[in-house]
Amino acid sequence: MSDRRPVTEQEALRESLRGLETARLPATVPPAQFPIETLVPEVRQQTPAVGQRATRPDARLHGLGQTKYIDDLALPGMLHARIKRAGIAAARIARIDTRAAEAMPGVMAVLTGREIPANSFGPSLQDQPVLADERVRHAGDGVAAVAAVTEEIAAQAVERIVVEYEPLPAVFDPFEAMREDAPRVHPPAGNVYAHKIIRKGDVERALAEADRVFEGRWTTQMVEHVPIEPHAAIAAWDANGRLTVYSTLGRITLGRADIARTLALPVNRVQVVGTIVGGNFGGKNEISQEPVLALLAKKAGRPVKGVFTRGEEFYASTTRHPFFMDYSTGVGRDGRIRARKVRLVLDGGAYCSWSETTLGKACILATGPYKIEHVQVEAFAVYTNKTVAGAMRGFGAPQVCFAYESQMDEIAAALAIDPLEIRLANAFDEGAASPTGQTLESVVVKASLEQAAARFGWREPRS
Amino acid sequence: MTPLRITVNGREHVLPAPPETTLLALLREHLGLTGAKLGCDVGDCGACTVLVDGLAVNACLMLAAQADGRSVLTIEGLATPDALHPIQQAFERHAALQCGFCGPGVILSAKALLDANPAPTAAEIREALAGNLCRCTGYAKMITAVHAAAQALHGATDERSPRATPVPRLPLPGGGTGGPR
Amino acid sequence: MRRRGRGIACMWYPIGFTVSANPSAATVKVNEDGTATLLTGTVETGQGSLTVLGQIAAEALGIATEDVHVVSADTDATPMDTGAIASRTTYVTGNAVKLAGERARAILFEAAAPMLGVKPEQLEARDRKIQVRGFPQRSVPIGEAARHALVGKGEPPIGTASFNPPTVAMDPETGQGKPFATYVYATQIAEVEVDDETGEVEVLRIVAAHDCGTPINPMLVEGQVEGGIAMGLGFALQEEILFDAAGRQINPNLTNYIMPTSLDMPEIEVDIVPSYDPTGPFGAKGVGEPTSVPTAAAIANAIYDAVGVRMTALPMTAERVLAAIKAKRAADAPRLAAD
Repeated sequence: MSDRRPVTEQEALRESLRGLETARLPATVPPAQFPIETLVPEVRQQTPAVGQRATRPDARLHGLGQTKYIDDLALPGMLHARIKRAGIAAARIARIDTRAAEAMPGVMAVLTGREIPANSFGPSLQDQPVLADERVRHAGDGVAAVAAVTEEIAAQAVERIVVEYEPLPAVFDPFEAMREDAPRVHPPAGNVYAHKIIRKGDVERALAEADRVFEGRWTTQMVEHVPIEPHAAIAAWDANGRLTVYSTLGRITLGRADIARTLALPVNRVQVVGTIVGGNFGGKNEISQEPVLALLAKKAGRPVKGVFTRGEEFYASTTRHPFFMDYSTGVGRDGRIRARKVRLVLDGGAYCSWSETTLGKACILATGPYKIEHVQVEAFAVYTNKTVAGAMRGFGAPQVCFAYESQMDEIAAALAIDPLEIRLANAFDEGAASPTGQTLESVVVKASLEQAAARFGWREPRS
Repeated sequence: MTPLRITVNGREHVLPAPPETTLLALLREHLGLTGAKLGCDVGDCGACTVLVDGLAVNACLMLAAQADGRSVLTIEGLATPDALHPIQQAFERHAALQCGFCGPGVILSAKALLDANPAPTAAEIREALAGNLCRCTGYAKMITAVHAAAQALHGATDERSPRATPVPRLPLPGGGTGGPR
Repeated sequence: MRRRGRGIACMWYPIGFTVSANPSAATVKVNEDGTATLLTGTVETGQGSLTVLGQIAAEALGIATEDVHVVSADTDATPMDTGAIASRTTYVTGNAVKLAGERARAILFEAAAPMLGVKPEQLEARDRKIQVRGFPQRSVPIGEAARHALVGKGEPPIGTASFNPPTVAMDPETGQGKPFATYVYATQIAEVEVDDETGEVEVLRIVAAHDCGTPINPMLVEGQVEGGIAMGLGFALQEEILFDAAGRQINPNLTNYIMPTSLDMPEIEVDIVPSYDPTGPFGAKGVGEPTSVPTAAAIANAIYDAVGVRMTALPMTAERVLAAIKAKRAADAPRLAAD
């Protein structure tokens, strides 16, 4: 097979250039004109440095179009990868036939999950395959990958890979997934894969004794990070068997450990280089295609680049957890919150990813920045056969804030208290105890309320 | 097949390119001008915005052949060897870009605007940038920077501009206009 | 009819990982001319961390932002870092950078002390000079001290340090513990107009008062707040990944997944709340994620204020808001009749 490759590659190149009078690309790249030296803004020259509105050192390169993101890099002989996505939410993989793809001119390597030395990753539970090998758990799972001399050939080759699936029962609703008889996403384990509780005081008694109890359910949706730069990486080996990965990862130290583990390499044989990342927001905090590119590069003996399509950004990267939030809040006639009981169910999708962290932060923050003596928060993260939910700007905080601040206004309206005043009456002071019993310091929630209200003109008469 | 004759950043190139080559691929892969970015490949995000005969266009939607005989300006052609363009300067000064990936497209959309309308209102600037998605900045500092650039270029930023010139964008076959959605 | 309303929401948010170790290390090398190079293993993902970390290193050495060149994001060349996550970079990596800068500075003080005829403890680094505390006219340029350390004493002024936020494990039964070293606080107020015939919500204005401890770079803090609000607005009103009955996404593209454009954004006014955290680098905490947290709640409360409907599901699309308005009218009608 390997002996055939240079020939097939030449065929592919000839094919791609067929009909051209000149089968030559420009020999020299036209120089980009940009100032090598311009004035350094004065603000960058001032001391003390802290507190200055200093311009960014990367800003000039951004503005000139000279910042090199991963997709702007090319190594000699570099190939292009494409990953085949399952397109089915739950199935057993019966057979993968890659022969037609391998036979295509220009295809230099094909990879399936069974070839990955340690085919699992994840920041807390390593429950996610790099490429699904036996079982597909959501439609965005990768099942095979191709490296070819052009992106177009790689995309065509992926279409020629035949995967036979035996469909399995799927579950998409987290409450259904929590039932004992629900289809299991990771059998034999149940679908509830993380559970956390915070308890302080006696919430049941305090709710029973409260003047008013407010109850409600709030829900939030699945959203995508949408960095304008898609996930991208390049893998290249040297003759010592040392791997360099250029990647859009926002966390290279842990990325290196994950890449080394999945490839069964000593950590010091892996170098991860980050460039400026074109937006992260939590979505680029885990490895994704890096081990795939590394193995394709090893098979082909050449560097391999992979760039997610915009579609893959949605269905093959992580998303923000949909939340289901039940709040019961006991309040005195004075508007003081006495007790708050919260139950959270997180739709985690097919793999754990950053669900444990999201669950933990959501639990701790769920009762809001308020002095409440009696609290209980219980939360569950649940597998479903949907897109993976992971880290996204706020780790569950935007979700619980939507609930606790909506309910705060309900309480204010019911008790005829101004929304600002009810918050000021309940907000943490310096030295307040958090729901986990932590003594809080540098607490400025009331100052932020007052400052925002003053700037907005909240207390001025309304027209 | 006749080679294409395209002027890029003031310099004429005679280039052979397969018929399916997009203008973006021609710029990035054949000419090594990687300032225009591939963000979505279907004309939604505007990261590939370049100017063709002065009009903002999504280079991912335009075939290279459609640029035959025309003049293309990419972000690499905006500065001179001596100085940043005032828009680039304003974007740097006001930290209008964060990750920067959308930046080249945004700056060129701003240039198309300021060429047509030297003293745009905030609403006109918003309209002009509506085809360029940014996930980092909330657009606020971009709008400030475009105002500042207008002032630097023309000595005026007029909040009460009487003109409401729509920013011309090149209509393209295949549905996309590259304009606001 | 378009009806105007206002809504307020406040929040708290922690810096760093929940209990788990999330250390950062950093190396500061002072060059022969008093400029410096900072090595950090974090990654610039747009938030401006390299600018801020450079400012922190500069502050520790008493030099200017421009004097520090930041090298980042290479596992071979830069020290380990937990990375661009959990709003931790300014606080955790920043503390490591500050400590590393202070270690390099201590070497400069050792070199400068005999030059100035004082003890190292009497020195401070300010305005690109090493000077005697209380006697700023007795000073040497930092470059001279650095050169003397390097070629005079043969002791290169290099500092390496690490930082990990102190936490206490949470009790598994009750959750009691100290999961984070510090928290930030914020309030956002939204003003909206709701069209009660279409359900369409337009956000006119958002005032945001955010605590980040000391703002190392106020311009970049504003940028974080503005960008976070944009993401919060999309979460509140527009964005949703939809699935078909077979669990496949219906709208995995930017044509049908709607996120905010420049036309959707309101006027944003950013206020930084005065605050100083003694455990942070020069009093700083962080700002990245929390900027996105209260926006949806503030908008939901403003919708209630405008048209009297309590939205309990995101996104609050025109269809959903209109359905809620109709449901409210239907519920109100018999009661009005009974009055």
